[in-house]
Amino acid sequence: MNNVVIDIDRVSFNYTDVPVLRDISLQIRAAEFIGIIGPNASGKSTLLKLILGLLAPDTGTISRFNQAGKKERAGRIGYVPQHVGFARDFPITVREAVLLGHVSALAMPFGYSRRQLAAAEQAMAALEIEALGRRQIGRLSGGQLQRVLIARALVSGPEVLILDEPTSSVDVRAEEDIYALLKQYSERMTIIIVSHDIAFISGYVDRVACLNQTLVCHDTQAINGDIIKQLYAAPVKLIDHRH
Amino acid sequence: MGGFFTALGEYAFIRNALLACLFASVGCGVIGSYIVVKRVSFLTGGIAHSVMAGMGIAYFYDSSPIVGAILAALASSMAIGWISLRWRQHEDILIAAFWSAGMATGILFLSLTPGYNVDLMSYLFGNILLITGRDLWLIFFLDLSILLVVLLFYRQFLSSMFDEEFARLRGINTEFFYILLLCLISITIVTLIQLVGLILVIALLTLPAAIANQYVTSLHKMFVCSAIICALISVSGVALSFGPDLPTGSVIALLACGCYFVSVFIKRLLLNGDV
Repeated sequence: MNNVVIDIDRVSFNYTDVPVLRDISLQIRAAEFIGIIGPNASGKSTLLKLILGLLAPDTGTISRFNQAGKKERAGRIGYVPQHVGFARDFPITVREAVLLGHVSALAMPFGYSRRQLAAAEQAMAALEIEALGRRQIGRLSGGQLQRVLIARALVSGPEVLILDEPTSSVDVRAEEDIYALLKQYSERMTIIIVSHDIAFISGYVDRVACLNQTLVCHDTQAINGDIIKQLYAAPVKLIDHRH
Repeated sequence: MGGFFTALGEYAFIRNALLACLFASVGCGVIGSYIVVKRVSFLTGGIAHSVMAGMGIAYFYDSSPIVGAILAALASSMAIGWISLRWRQHEDILIAAFWSAGMATGILFLSLTPGYNVDLMSYLFGNILLITGRDLWLIFFLDLSILLVVLLFYRQFLSSMFDEEFARLRGINTEFFYILLLCLISITIVTLIQLVGLILVIALLTLPAAIANQYVTSLHKMFVCSAIICALISVSGVALSFGPDLPTGSVIALLACGCYFVSVFIKRLLLNGDV
C-alpha cells in the first residue's frame, strides 16, 4: 500500500507513569476522512500530538509521508486546535491570524508574497469569513473563530488536515456547516478529526477509529451498541443518525 | 509651567531629559506591548530588580554601572527564561527568588564599596535630570537594536505568542523566541532605569501598552499607540515635576497609573466595552 500518508506502528506513550496510549497501530491513506472517537481522557488529543510530531512516542514509530523529515513536512500537515489560549483582547485581526498559517521559522520580515495573500483570501472565502477580515479576533463567535482556525490551517495547502474537537464550542447549526465543509475538502485531502460525538461524526467520515488507550478500527457501518459499550465501558444509548 | 518652558530654552539638561523620554518611549512602546500581550509583567519586574546586582557589582569593581546593568539584565533574563521553560509550575517562585537575590546582591556590593557615596535612590527611582549626551547615545543605540530584532522577527514573535503550539508545528523555535523576548525586555529596562528607576520601570512598561491594548486591533498599531502614550506621559511627568521640584520618576509613574485608570473608566462606562 503506497498511498499511506500516516503510518502509526505499535506506538505507546506515557505521561510520567500514567499510560495514555498502548500499542496503537493505524494506517491512514491519502484522501481518507477518518474520525478518532473515544471518551474523555482516552488519549485522543495525545494521539493527534504524536501524529503532528509535537510529542515523541515512548515506543513504536510514526512515519509521515514515507518518513519525510521535519522540514520536508512543514506545511503539508494543517492543524486546527481545540482551543487557542490567547486572551480575548489579543491585538490581531482575523486576516492577520489566517496569514500566520504561512509564517515559518525563516519567514521574511516584510510583506507576504502575492501567492500567500491569494491563498489567504481563498481560504477565507471558502470558509465565508472574508467579511470579518479586519475584525479583532476576540470579537468572534465560537463558530467564527473555528472557521478562522481552519482557514489558518488551510493556507499552506496541506495534504493532511488534522482537527481536534473542532465543534466543541459551537452550536449544532454551525457544527453541521463545518462538517459539510470538511466533507467537501475530504475529496482533495486526508482529514483526521477527533471527536467525542460518535453519533454525529459517523454520518460524515469514511472510517472511525475508536480509542480508549488502545485502538479498535471500524468502518462507519460497523458501529453498534456492543462496540460503544466496550469503548465507554458503560452502556451508551446509540442514536441512529441518518443523513 | 511657564518656568519649565523658559528652562527648556536655557538648560541642556532639560533638553536631554526630554530627548531621553522620547527615545526611551520607542522601546517602551514596542516591548511594553509584548509584555502586556504575553502577560509577563511580573517577570519583567523580576528582571528589573535583578539589574541591581549588576550595578552593585560594577560599582564595587569601579566600572560602569550601566554596563553592569546590561550584563546583569541579559544574564538574569536568560537564566529566568531557561529555568522557567523547564520548571513552569514554579515560575512565580523563581521570579521572586531572582527579584530578591538581585536586590540583595546589589545592595551588598554597594555597601562593600570603599568610600561608597553613590546615591542609591537614583538607581531605584531614576534621575532623569542627570542624563548626559553619552547616556542619550546609549539609549538611542539600545533602542535601535531592539527595533531591528523586532522588525526582523515580527511574525515569528506574533505567531508564537498567539498560538505557541501552532508556531512550533510550523517549525518556529518558540523557546528561542521566548528567551529572545526576555533579552529585549531586559535591554528596554536598562534604557528606562535613568528615567524612572528600576522600581518604577514596570509602570512605563505595562501601563501605556495596556491603555493602547483597549483601542487597537493589531499588534503593530499597539506598538505605535503605546509609544506615543508613553512619550506623552513621560514628557508631561518631566514638565509637571520641574516647577515644584518633585521626584520626576514618581510623577511619571503616578501619571501612568492615573491615565490607565481613566482609560479603563472611559472604555467601560462611556464606550461600554469589555476590558
